[in-house]
Amino acid sequence: MRNLIVVLGLLLAPAWADEPYKEYTPAEHFEPHVSGDSQLTGTYRYWKDPTKLDLRLAGHPDDSWKLNWKHLDYPFNKEMHAGHLALDRGLVLFNKLNRAGTFKNCLVMYRLNGQYETTLRGLRTHFPAYRTDLRRVAGLEEVIEHCAALESETLQNGSYDNSAVSIYIASQSLGMPIKIDVSSGPLREAWKRGERLFHQKVGRNNMSCASCHVGRVGQSLRATVVTSPYGDAAHYPVYRDRFGITSLHIRFAQCSLDLGFNALKPGSPAYTDVEVFLTALTNGYPVSVPSERP
Amino acid sequence: MHTIWRVILVAFLCGSPLGYGYTPGEMVDSKMPTKTLMPKVKVDSGRLEWVPYAMDLSPWPTLCEDDPRAMPRPQHAQYVAPLRGDAVRGRMIVMDTRRGNCVTCHEIPGEDWPGTFGRKLNHYKQLRMSDADIYQQIYDVRITAPRAVMPPFGALGILSDQDIRDVVAYLQSLE
Repeated sequence: MRNLIVVLGLLLAPAWADEPYKEYTPAEHFEPHVSGDSQLTGTYRYWKDPTKLDLRLAGHPDDSWKLNWKHLDYPFNKEMHAGHLALDRGLVLFNKLNRAGTFKNCLVMYRLNGQYETTLRGLRTHFPAYRTDLRRVAGLEEVIEHCAALESETLQNGSYDNSAVSIYIASQSLGMPIKIDVSSGPLREAWKRGERLFHQKVGRNNMSCASCHVGRVGQSLRATVVTSPYGDAAHYPVYRDRFGITSLHIRFAQCSLDLGFNALKPGSPAYTDVEVFLTALTNGYPVSVPSERP
Repeated sequence: MHTIWRVILVAFLCGSPLGYGYTPGEMVDSKMPTKTLMPKVKVDSGRLEWVPYAMDLSPWPTLCEDDPRAMPRPQHAQYVAPLRGDAVRGRMIVMDTRRGNCVTCHEIPGEDWPGTFGRKLNHYKQLRMSDADIYQQIYDVRITAPRAVMPPFGALGILSDQDIRDVVAYLQSLE
């Protein structure tokens, strides 16, 4: 269908056959492992081990960015916040959806490498993954929406209930390192597309993700401090005090509007590609939910 | 004709909320002042709400390889002296988040919490740049600094000719 529309479009307006002019931020070398941050920002040594963060850095207004906000993750942050309420609701919803046992089967049975598992443990660390039933690479939230639809429930991608179930599933992988393989197959393609999108300048300000998140990490846009793209996908969906429970794609949508272009629907192909790229940059970093960010 | 097909194409290919999974009737209220929507997460709900955003961002290419719309190429500004700028109005544009928004990246006198991306503009006049050079810098920075992050305000149509003249007048007043 998609290709058909492209072909029709090109036939109807030959001018479109030319590649539209777009600019790209000069590409850096990205490593599909969280330790690649050492080459980009050099702060990896400060937040490598979430159990051994430096308390003095966390309290320092000029140096706290070096922790990449990991001091807001468990176990350093033992505060109660709204992410815990979402986790509780996620458990209730999961049990309701999984009354017949088919919801959990739907989640685990299409895992990569044909591995069939009966437990949720470690499931979060393998997403985004190629799903043979959907015939595309999909994030965990998209798969939850799909599997809930099979149980005749509506859990739209990005909605509170969807993120709550996602937090509950992620909590079953707490402390296990993210592990997606982008060396071959559909995930390799998605990684490449995601890397290109990460550098593509778009919108009202002609900016790309890389405009800020490469080379300017630690600098501020008024009160907003720019974070490293490495190690950032392990704590989503996250509780943010201004926006509530925020899945990664909702975060992308907020970024899109801030940068000056229309937000895409959560689960759209471009967002999933960027999710694959960012999740690969988090490879090797432990899952930490529920978490909070400003 | 072309415009209509482009809108349809972008909506289909890029999966924007205006054309992907929702019917236009669901998404666009005729009373709505804008075509840009913002997702809103409603507590204890399985549905995602979309509310009007403060600005209409639909003319701009979105984050999608298949978006057929191009970005403007780097442009030389057509500056004609004299300047005739209003420094007071210039400062309003500099501080306005919807227009110049300069303070997000640059340090400006009288702002306690500026950004640190760009150079400090506190004593800009001491750089002794000509009006024409500053005008070009704001109109399209890509001519002189291709790797700069600063948006090309003139080439992208964010600021009008008079807006840029006012901002130049304000910058030349910072001694």
